[in-house]
Amino acid sequence: MLGMSDMMHMASATLAQAGYPEAMSTPALAHYLFLSAVLFVIGIVGFVTRRNLIIMFLCTELMFQAAGLALIAFSRFHLHHTGQTFVIFVLTIAAAEAALALALVVLLFRKKDSLSGEEWREMQG
Amino acid sequence: MLATLATVDVKSYLPLGILIGMAVTFAVANVVMSKMIGPSRDGPSKGIAYESGMNPVGTARKRFNVRFYLIAMVFLLFDIEVIFLYPWATTFPNLEAGTSEGLVWLGRILFFLLTTIVAYLYGFRKGVFRFD
Amino acid sequence: MIERIGYLWPEIVLFIGACLTMVIGLSPNADMRKQTGLIAGVSLLIAAALGLATPAAPTWAILPGIMPFAKPLIALVGLLLLLVNIGSVDRDEEAAIAAGKPFNPLRVTGAEFYAFFLFSLMGAMLCATAGDLIWLFLALELTSLPTYVMVVLSGRGKKGFDRSQEAGVKYFFLGALGAGIFLYGFALLYGGTGTTQFVEIAQHFAAHGMNPIATVGLVLALVGVSFKIAAVPMHFYTADVYQGSSGGVAAFLAFVPKTAGMISILLLVSTVGWAAGQGSLPPAIESLLWALAVLTMTVGNVLALLQSSLKRMLAYSSIAHSGYMLVGVIAGPGDGSFVSSGIAAVLFYLLCYGVMSTGVFAVLASLERKSGGEAVEVESLDDIKGLCRSHPWLGWSMVICMLSLLGFPPILGFFGKVPLFTSALGAGHVVLVVILALNSAIAAFYYLRVVAGVMIDPESDSGVRDTGVPARVIAAVISGVLVLGLSVFGNVFMGSGEKAAEVRRFVGQSDEHDTDSVPLDEHSEAAEDEHHAVSH
Repeated sequence: MLGMSDMMHMASATLAQAGYPEAMSTPALAHYLFLSAVLFVIGIVGFVTRRNLIIMFLCTELMFQAAGLALIAFSRFHLHHTGQTFVIFVLTIAAAEAALALALVVLLFRKKDSLSGEEWREMQG
Repeated sequence: MLATLATVDVKSYLPLGILIGMAVTFAVANVVMSKMIGPSRDGPSKGIAYESGMNPVGTARKRFNVRFYLIAMVFLLFDIEVIFLYPWATTFPNLEAGTSEGLVWLGRILFFLLTTIVAYLYGFRKGVFRFD
Repeated sequence: MIERIGYLWPEIVLFIGACLTMVIGLSPNADMRKQTGLIAGVSLLIAAALGLATPAAPTWAILPGIMPFAKPLIALVGLLLLLVNIGSVDRDEEAAIAAGKPFNPLRVTGAEFYAFFLFSLMGAMLCATAGDLIWLFLALELTSLPTYVMVVLSGRGKKGFDRSQEAGVKYFFLGALGAGIFLYGFALLYGGTGTTQFVEIAQHFAAHGMNPIATVGLVLALVGVSFKIAAVPMHFYTADVYQGSSGGVAAFLAFVPKTAGMISILLLVSTVGWAAGQGSLPPAIESLLWALAVLTMTVGNVLALLQSSLKRMLAYSSIAHSGYMLVGVIAGPGDGSFVSSGIAAVLFYLLCYGVMSTGVFAVLASLERKSGGEAVEVESLDDIKGLCRSHPWLGWSMVICMLSLLGFPPILGFFGKVPLFTSALGAGHVVLVVILALNSAIAAFYYLRVVAGVMIDPESDSGVRDTGVPARVIAAVISGVLVLGLSVFGNVFMGSGEKAAEVRRFVGQSDEHDTDSVPLDEHSEAAEDEHHAVSH
């Protein structure tokens, strides 16, 4: 049985023979940054436009992961590990926020039987 | 950045295309082959919801006990802890032998594990591990 | 890296205290549970003492003097905040247990509350210790994550709990948005400079100037962190959150995240501008901070005028105060003397604001009224009318703290505001100073309305009474006395603020020096001196 990495390796070797030098190597830094910027913007826009608390939380999570992607890309670009170390800590914080967010969402659901942030309108200016 | 994107060598995405192609083929082949080869029987027991071999009783939208949530939180704690153990474990063998460096590193990870023990102790007193 | 522990003793003490409260607070023995507040207080006292003894001028810090000032400040105001918060959680549950209800660890929240209280203060201290972006990110999150839980836990009674939950959810979600924004900023800042160490970032900027990625990163980081100080584009949560949480927790939110955020902004801004040998900040950053400051002051003050709820008014006033402090950030370090250093002004203003806002919230937390059979916190100005006659200690504390917030001449807030004016004038920001003065005049309306109501108006008949927790009254009176005392002896702290505001400058660095990896964590002072030309 061939593992996935073996297949990737074979594909890469074949392509190299076919005249695609370093075909499996990483795309340029700009690609990663573009993707991470797109993720970040999706996160912000989603956060502002949606009212479902779980979706809103996922959007903030998307922003975190966008930052993580940028960090790893930069880490590779600068050829040192600092960015990757940063990502580990980002993941930790994201997990802590997930625990909190789920607790708050469960609270809302038990009280109002709904996931919409609009249900919370106790205080007005 | 857009200018860079315009000059992208599209062919370099070929491996990605191959990968996607393999994934799709695998999924479609499975469905099609089981339709073709497998025996087709129908009955009431086949129509019921799958619940790991148990009889599905009641509605799926049943409210779960909060304890499941607490267990999930404790899982998250250990889950995240492991992330930090891996980089530590890969670095530890590369430390210079015969120096006090190793002790310092051991001290650091022990302190880190100690914080987890505090969290565990807290969970224990909070009654997370009491199943009654 | 291990040498850095020498700067961390206050945080370590708070950490141990938090772990102890977390475990002891869940004891089935009620007397043990009562000790949590005491443990928190003792650890804060020790942390304050250790913080004063923090060695200054480590080579990895971009603001070398800030730790011996910020740590005791956070610990001591933390003590005051602890007094306001003692007995605010679990009050009804503990009473029920004393009356014979069986103890259920899932229903008691005192352990979490005090532990999170200490963790959050520890996070604010760690912000002052931060030497790189990763550390700063973790410290900021450590400051804010516990506060979300504290807000949710702080409600009392059914209606109070509904409100505190709503406040907690709003605070959490907007906080997570802010965190995402500044994290992305940090990532870009790292990408643009190739390092996460503040000192190396500053060296990079000094040698190569700003680049677009780093500039965008810095802008995002500042906008994201401005959530913590409740500056204008990120201020929406403030009023709802302060109104929904108990008075003690609102006081906590007004001081701790603001201090952490302000210190972070100082650290981030220190990496550009004066550190790179320029008199002022780069235009993009300066115009951003300028807009933030002006909008924050004006929106805060104008909206505060329109509020009928006292807590909402204080929330908007806290927004306005953040705007005042941003003026100091824009002014920069000047020539390093107290009158010209905006950084010293910001640090001293944090001290003033911490004491006076805690005093005002402590007065509110000490009072309650009956509403539909439940005891609820006082809400509107009508409730506290004539307080000087019905509760003279609370009333006069309120008057003193309010006048101080207004910046009334012989009282503390005035001495806090003057350095902001002088430093901004010294840096040539005349328009900014005029706007600051106009805003102080607007603020006078709503502060004086409260002062007049408390002093002159006849007593209200809404049945306002003491909550029966002496610690809160004590906190209010101590704050009032501190405001008066600091008005007289504040110059002592001005001196230490001046020392804390010392900045590093990286002028005349050649490129080859910059690319060297500087052994920041080893105490090779001689090598360091070649690299860093420290001012003063």
